Amino acid sequence: MTAAIEITGLTKVYGEKRALDGVDLEVPVGSVFGFLGPNGAGKTTTLRILTGLAHATDGTARVFGRDVVTATNDVRSDIGFLPDVPGYYEWMTAPEFLRFAGSLFGLGGSVLEERVKALLDLAGLAGVTTKVGGYSRGMKQRLGVAQALVNAPKLLMLDEPTSALDPIGRKEVLDMIASLGGRTTVFFSTHILSDVERVCDQVAILHEGRVVTQAPIAELKARYATSRIVVGVTGDADAFAERLAGEQWASDVARKENGFLEITVADLDLARRAVPALVADAGAGLTRFETGEVSLEDVFVELVGGGR
Amino acid sequence: MRGFRAFLAKELREILRTWRIWVLPGIVLFFALSGPPLAKFTPELLGTFVNSEQTGMVIQLPDPTYVDAYLQWTKNLQQLVLFAVIIMFGGIVSAEKRAGTTALVLTKPLSRTAFVLAKYVSQALLLIASVVVGALLTWGLTYAIFAEAPVAPLVQATGSWLALGLMFLALMELFSSAMDSQAGAAGLGFLGFIAIGIATLWAPAVEYSPAGLLGAPTALVIGESVALGWPVGSTLALTTLLVATAVLVFRRREL
Repeated sequence: MTAAIEITGLTKVYGEKRALDGVDLEVPVGSVFGFLGPNGAGKTTTLRILTGLAHATDGTARVFGRDVVTATNDVRSDIGFLPDVPGYYEWMTAPEFLRFAGSLFGLGGSVLEERVKALLDLAGLAGVTTKVGGYSRGMKQRLGVAQALVNAPKLLMLDEPTSALDPIGRKEVLDMIASLGGRTTVFFSTHILSDVERVCDQVAILHEGRVVTQAPIAELKARYATSRIVVGVTGDADAFAERLAGEQWASDVARKENGFLEITVADLDLARRAVPALVADAGAGLTRFETGEVSLEDVFVELVGGGR
Repeated sequence: MRGFRAFLAKELREILRTWRIWVLPGIVLFFALSGPPLAKFTPELLGTFVNSEQTGMVIQLPDPTYVDAYLQWTKNLQQLVLFAVIIMFGGIVSAEKRAGTTALVLTKPLSRTAFVLAKYVSQALLLIASVVVGALLTWGLTYAIFAEAPVAPLVQATGSWLALGLMFLALMELFSSAMDSQAGAAGLGFLGFIAIGIATLWAPAVEYSPAGLLGAPTALVIGESVALGWPVGSTLALTTLLVATAVLVFRRREL
């Protein structure tokens, strides 16, 4: 099956700076795809090239198999786009803006009216009669998602849709995105890890203009799976730490500030059996035993570097 | 030219529902309404201030006629209204880029060509409507005050100015397509105005180029014979070229 987005060797140079440095990316049809990266990684530049707002220095970008440079209107007919800071005609109301957006796709009549009504409901803006100029940031973002859906797009591209929102606004926009899962392909750029974990099933991590990894989230976690155990013991914790460090299943043992030990383990089941036995063998008591799975944040920090 | 009609409809509604409906029409209508009374009463006012029994100074001023009212109209068009066009339309394209609306509308099936052309057509309609209504008011008030207001010189003078005004609109659209700064575009527009003013010193430029239209409205009103064929033709050709260049420049820009 043709990928929703297929990017090969995409490069964008601004003067001396390489904003994108040979990006390769494939977004499967039907996925909710998180395009994750720190600020300045090149996420917005990638989206601007995909939507025709900017031109690539080198490489190709295809949407449903069509080149974004040569098939501009065909590509745009199939996509919905929300930029990071959407600008509106502030003299319009939300229904007027949605009707105008629909008219640019050639929509009209009852089809457009029904769609506008449904989208206003989805965005929680039904019955709001004020002009867009008076909207809060959250209302503007929800209207932004709604206008991006007016053509029932096969691909929805959202650039940092939650970055400037308060927790309630963020939840509302994420709920809107989550509700689209399975109906349309969603390509969603963000630097907020928890947003990706919450709504995405696939992720790519972009760093300094390069894709450092791309995979389903579950597979990515499994690939970097190193579980952690936090252990508290009575008696000499340092001596116990030395003893743990000699075990093959313990790849790292770190002394935490509160006196607990954090053990990085390759085989969690083995560690669960071995730690209590070692504690008993040392004649100590177990005061804390807590296991934790690797998070996307752990993977992100490992790939992008925690020293940033 | 996909999306042209839908975007043109938006542009026209924007004119009707924002400050745009007040500024240019307001300026033009103010000059239309104030021109004929000023022409009528200026000699009387000057006489009141200058003629004095104490100083013994007496200036004889001819009685004002409809020509003076028409001259007020053309003088304002040639300078102040043209300046308003240059300043107001310095952001005709770039204002949308600065506001972030281009990122929403130009990622839909609206071509950049349609975007630029719809802006030109809508603002040209605003300019034409404002000037036509202003000319009608000038004619009506002139007739009411002077009991004489021939139509032909006013139509010819206003029409020749409109050709020049539409060319300056195209020039501003080109500058606004090429740069983000409204002030920068307006500055270049004023340079264009000065260049045309300088060109009027060279007879062939007056005969064959848009420079011939700068002084034409006044000349037509005072009854001088003006050959408009070449100046109007070259102005229309240059207008088309400027709009086409604006489209090409905007299509190549990153937004």
